[in-house]
Amino acid sequence: MKILFSLFISILILSSVNAQDVEVKNKFINHTEFGGLFGRVKYSNGSQQNTVDSRTSLTLQTFNGIQVSRKLGAGIILGADWYKSALINPVAAGIRYDLSGRPNARFFVIADAGYGFTWLHQDSDGYKTKGGWMINPGIGLRIGNVNTSSFTLSLTYKRQEVFAEKPLLWNQTERREERVYNRIAARIGISF
Amino acid sequence: MKTQLLPLIIAVFSFGLFSCNDQCKETRITRRLTPFTRSLAEIRSSVKAESKRELVRPGKIYTKGNYLFINEIKEGIHVVDNSDPTNPKFISFINIPGNGDIAVRNNILYADSYSDLVSLDITDPANAKEVGRVQNVFQFGQFDGVSWSLMGQNSAAGMISIQDFTVDFVTETVTTSCEENVSPMLLSWLDSGFLSSASFNSAGSASSAQPNGQAGSMARFALYDKFLYTVQQNRLHLFNISNPSQPTDFTTVNTNFIIETIFPYQNKLFLGTTTGMIIFDNSDPASPTQISVFQHGRACDPVVVHNDIAYVTLRTGTACQGTQNQLDLVDVSNPANPKLIKTYQMENPHGLSIDFPTLYLCEGDKGLKVFDVTDKMEIDKHMISHFKDIDAYDVISLGKTLMLIGKDGFYQFDVTDPRNIRELSKIPVNKAIP
Repeated sequence: MKILFSLFISILILSSVNAQDVEVKNKFINHTEFGGLFGRVKYSNGSQQNTVDSRTSLTLQTFNGIQVSRKLGAGIILGADWYKSALINPVAAGIRYDLSGRPNARFFVIADAGYGFTWLHQDSDGYKTKGGWMINPGIGLRIGNVNTSSFTLSLTYKRQEVFAEKPLLWNQTERREERVYNRIAARIGISF
Repeated sequence: MKTQLLPLIIAVFSFGLFSCNDQCKETRITRRLTPFTRSLAEIRSSVKAESKRELVRPGKIYTKGNYLFINEIKEGIHVVDNSDPTNPKFISFINIPGNGDIAVRNNILYADSYSDLVSLDITDPANAKEVGRVQNVFQFGQFDGVSWSLMGQNSAAGMISIQDFTVDFVTETVTTSCEENVSPMLLSWLDSGFLSSASFNSAGSASSAQPNGQAGSMARFALYDKFLYTVQQNRLHLFNISNPSQPTDFTTVNTNFIIETIFPYQNKLFLGTTTGMIIFDNSDPASPTQISVFQHGRACDPVVVHNDIAYVTLRTGTACQGTQNQLDLVDVSNPANPKLIKTYQMENPHGLSIDFPTLYLCEGDKGLKVFDVTDKMEIDKHMISHFKDIDAYDVISLGKTLMLIGKDGFYQFDVTDPRNIRELSKIPVNKAIP
C-alpha cells in the first residue's frame, strides 16, 4: 500500500509543475460513481485449514466540490458500501487531478481519505459494529469534452477499517473483530 | 504521458489484485478450566471463624439487624458490623469452602459449602460456630459459570470428593471470514441447558418477618415459615428448620428449568430461570406447587415483585449466553397467567431492588440506575439518576439506606431522598481493611 501511495504522490508532484499556468475556475463539480469492490479473503477461524473466498460488494459514491485549478478539483465524498456484514457510509475529503491527455479522453488521479460510519447499518443481535478509517487512491479515465459533462471509468484501491464486538461463545469473556476490507474498486460514473 | 501511464495502471491493477485480501482478525479471551479435586473431609473440617480479611472477589450480600454478611466467592463470609453505615467494620471471616449463598434467621446462619448445607450459630458474630450440617444435598453447582460436582458418592465411605476447576484466561487471535454469522456450533451450545447459570445470584427484598435477614435479588436461598428454600440447577430444595440449628433435608421439587434466583412474595415464590420466570404457589409452605411459567429468551434473570408487578431483568454474559439486555415488567395479578406489560432496553442488568416507587437497578460495569416506576408504561423516561463510575452487581434497599455490591467493592448510600442519593461508605476490594 505504501508503494502505491508514494507512486501516486510522486505523480501528483511531478504533474503540478505543469499546472502552474492554468487559471483557477472555482466552479462547482460533481463526480458520481457506482461499481463493485472486489477482493478475496483467506481465513482459518482457528482451525488448521485455510479457506479462500472471493468477495464482491456494491459501492456508490458522490464527490462534490470545486475546481481549484484547471486540473485540480477538491471536494467532499459521501458514499455507501454494502459489505456483507456491514453497511458503511464513508465521508471523506478527496481530490480529482487531471493528467494530460487528449481533449476528449484524459486520465485523472483520485485520492480520497476519510472515515466510514455505520449510521445506516443494523446489527444482528449481540453484535456491535463500529466504523473506521478509509482511504481510496486510484486512477480514472474521463471520456468527454472538458467543458461539458463526461463519462468516467475508475480503478482504485479501497481500504476500509471496521471494528465489531461479537456475541460471546461458551467460556469467552471477550470477543472482538478487527476487519480491514482491502478491495479493488472498479466504478463507472459521470462527472460535470 | 499516456505511454508512461499504461505501465502504472497495470502496476496498480496487479498490485491491487494481489493485495486485495480482506483481513479480519478475531480476538477472543476464553476461560480455560483446569480440574482439581478436594476431599470433602478436608472441606468439612475447615469451616471455622477466622480473623478478618480483605474483600477480594465479593459475591452476594445479606443483611440482618446491624450485621452485614458479604460472601467471598467460594471462600466464605465476611462478617461486618454495620451499626454505623458510614463506618462499617469488619469483625471476622467465616471460612466456608464452596460458599455462595447466605440466609440468616435469628442467630442461625445458613450457608452452602459445595455439597453441604451448613448452619452456624452467630450469637457471637466474631466467633461463629458450626452447629449443624446436612451432607451431600447438592450434587453440583456453579460459581461464575464454572461448575463443580460431587464425585464418588457411591464409592466406599471417605472417598467422596469435590471436583472443581481453576480458571485462567487465554487470549487467542484467529482469522475470520469477515462475514460472521452465528455458527451452528454456538446454537448447539446455547441449547445445551446445563451450561448457563447466574454468576451472582441474589435474593428478594420482601421478607418482612423480623427474624429473617434480607438478601439481594440474586439470592438462591430464601426463608419462609419453617423452611429454607434453596435453588440449584433445576431443583427447588426445601430444608425443614423447625429446629433452627439442625436443618433437615425435607423435600425436592423438580422443574424443567435451570433456576438461578428465588424471591418470596406474599404466599408465592418467584423463581428466575435461564429461560423464564416460574411462579409457585406457596400457601402450603411444605409443598410449593408450580402455577405458571412466563417464558423469555435465554438469559440470566433475577426478579423482584411489588404490587402484582414483577420486575425481571435479562442479561447476557459468559455464563448466561443469550443476546437480550432488558427489563421486563410482568403483570402477575393473576399468577396463573402472567402478562408482559412492557419491555425496556438496558445495558447489562444484574440485581435489582424495589422500594416503591423507586427501582434500583444494577447495570454491571455500567453502574447503578435509579428509576421512578410510578408510571409503569414510561419507566425509561423517569430515570432519576445514573451512577456510572461504580461496578454494580446487586443491591438491597432498606428504605433509608441502600447497599450495593460490585466487583470494585461494597457501597452504602443514603436514599432518604432518591433524587439526592449520598454515598455513606465504601469498602473497596483488595485494599487494607480500615
